[in-house]
Amino acid sequence: MNDGMMNSRTATVAGYVLGFALLFAIWHLASQYLVRSVLFPSPIPVFIRGWALIEDQLLQEAVIASMRRILQGFLLGSAIGIPVGLAIGSFRPVRLLLEPWTEFFRFIPAVAMITVSVIWFGIGEESKIFLIAYTTIFVVVIATAAGVGAVGRDKIRAAQCLGANRFQVFALVALPATVPYILTGMRLAMSNAFVTIVAAELVASNDGLGKMLWDARLFMQVEDIFVALISLGLLGFATDRTFRLLIRAFAGRFNPTM
Amino acid sequence: MGDEVAFVELDGVGMTFRGRTGAYQAVRDFNLELSEGEFFCLLGTSGCGKTTVMNMLAGFDAPTEGQIRLEGRPVRGPGADRGVVFQGHDSLYDWLTARDNIAFGLRLRGMGRAERRSIADRFLNMVGLAGQGGKHPSELSGGMKQRIQIARALANDPRMLLMDEPFGALDAMTRAVLQGELSRIWSENRKTVLFITHDIEEACALATRVGVMKRGPGGTLKAVVPLDLPYPRERTSDAFMASFRRVHELIHAEIHPQ
Repeated sequence: MNDGMMNSRTATVAGYVLGFALLFAIWHLASQYLVRSVLFPSPIPVFIRGWALIEDQLLQEAVIASMRRILQGFLLGSAIGIPVGLAIGSFRPVRLLLEPWTEFFRFIPAVAMITVSVIWFGIGEESKIFLIAYTTIFVVVIATAAGVGAVGRDKIRAAQCLGANRFQVFALVALPATVPYILTGMRLAMSNAFVTIVAAELVASNDGLGKMLWDARLFMQVEDIFVALISLGLLGFATDRTFRLLIRAFAGRFNPTM
Repeated sequence: MGDEVAFVELDGVGMTFRGRTGAYQAVRDFNLELSEGEFFCLLGTSGCGKTTVMNMLAGFDAPTEGQIRLEGRPVRGPGADRGVVFQGHDSLYDWLTARDNIAFGLRLRGMGRAERRSIADRFLNMVGLAGQGGKHPSELSGGMKQRIQIARALANDPRMLLMDEPFGALDAMTRAVLQGELSRIWSENRKTVLFITHDIEEACALATRVGVMKRGPGGTLKAVVPLDLPYPRERTSDAFMASFRRVHELIHAEIHPQ
């Protein structure tokens, strides 16, 4: 069994390496033989440019600026979304009162909120953190509330028959049973956060990967655009992997589909 | 009876569910007294209301008529004095190990870790799962999960045990093995048991008395058959066959009404 797990892990890593190698190979061939334009560079000058940006600390600064906003907004949004979702899932009056809110706001995309957030908070950190938190909250609320609603009736009854009071049923049964749903909601929210941060930084920012994309467009630095795009892809990929590992650790035992 | 109080008393108990489609009388005029230490099987066809009777005794549903008393005190809501084993194994806590599932009730009472562990291991041993305490429910077979459920209910040391078709979802051979184990465990501790089933052979193999229910709606107790056979029950013996035939005749009229 241990051998099997090792093999499947090795296979996964090998798949990643080969998959990315294939992607870059196709990219290279397309740029050399298909497109042949300065607007579509081969990966080689892009990597060279990327390395130069790393040596100058510029790429790190952009990545750190964007990731810090994502994490702050994401944590703030989750910190609000999880308790609200738990309350909606646990108490009918709260659900009747707050469900219209979530159903209303989740159709106003964070990108559409950029203008008001800049008017309210300026082009500094606050507006980005607000937007990321905004995009996170509703996904997390809906996933958490659904999770509370999905706790099996027998799990709760069993606890009551073992002497659990209402608080114990909540803390020791409903909450742990909901954790996989919460993590899944957070995972979805994280991919929304990546979309939102780039849009927000494109419109108004002094740093970050979105700003890097915008500046590169202004000065026609095509390689810089590709460096920013690859960075976004890798960051999102790494973040999502981390989440999947967390979900497995908490929930994989009883939800192998994750 | 005199003024002696029965261990469990169901006194003119009835249950009418009211829904959008009108009222449905599931159980009516149900009278039964259980004495301490007996193994009572409640046998009935599908939809006769036997699970409703158990749910009322467990305290999940309040009867709409009559009263249920345990040791003279009216039953109000679920409590640790009545351990329940559910038909499905969804009631186990997937995020806990088998041992922690068994110790769940002890944890609710604030018992220390070392003591919990030693009690849980004793009950793991009792249900034949010594050494499997570190596994999670997803790593256990259906039969093993039902063993964990039984151990979890017994470890909490309830006054009586309620079992709702606990072996209904198992294959015939596993079911027979678990029936034998349950008989052995009951012979050792003599907990009062109310066991719900639709399987005549199962009822005859386990019970000190079998209660046969009339078919629903408005199910009620039709007859009670005492089984004065030694344990372990020899299923091919003449005495067992005679009991089986007697119970079969009673239930046959409910399956094939004139």
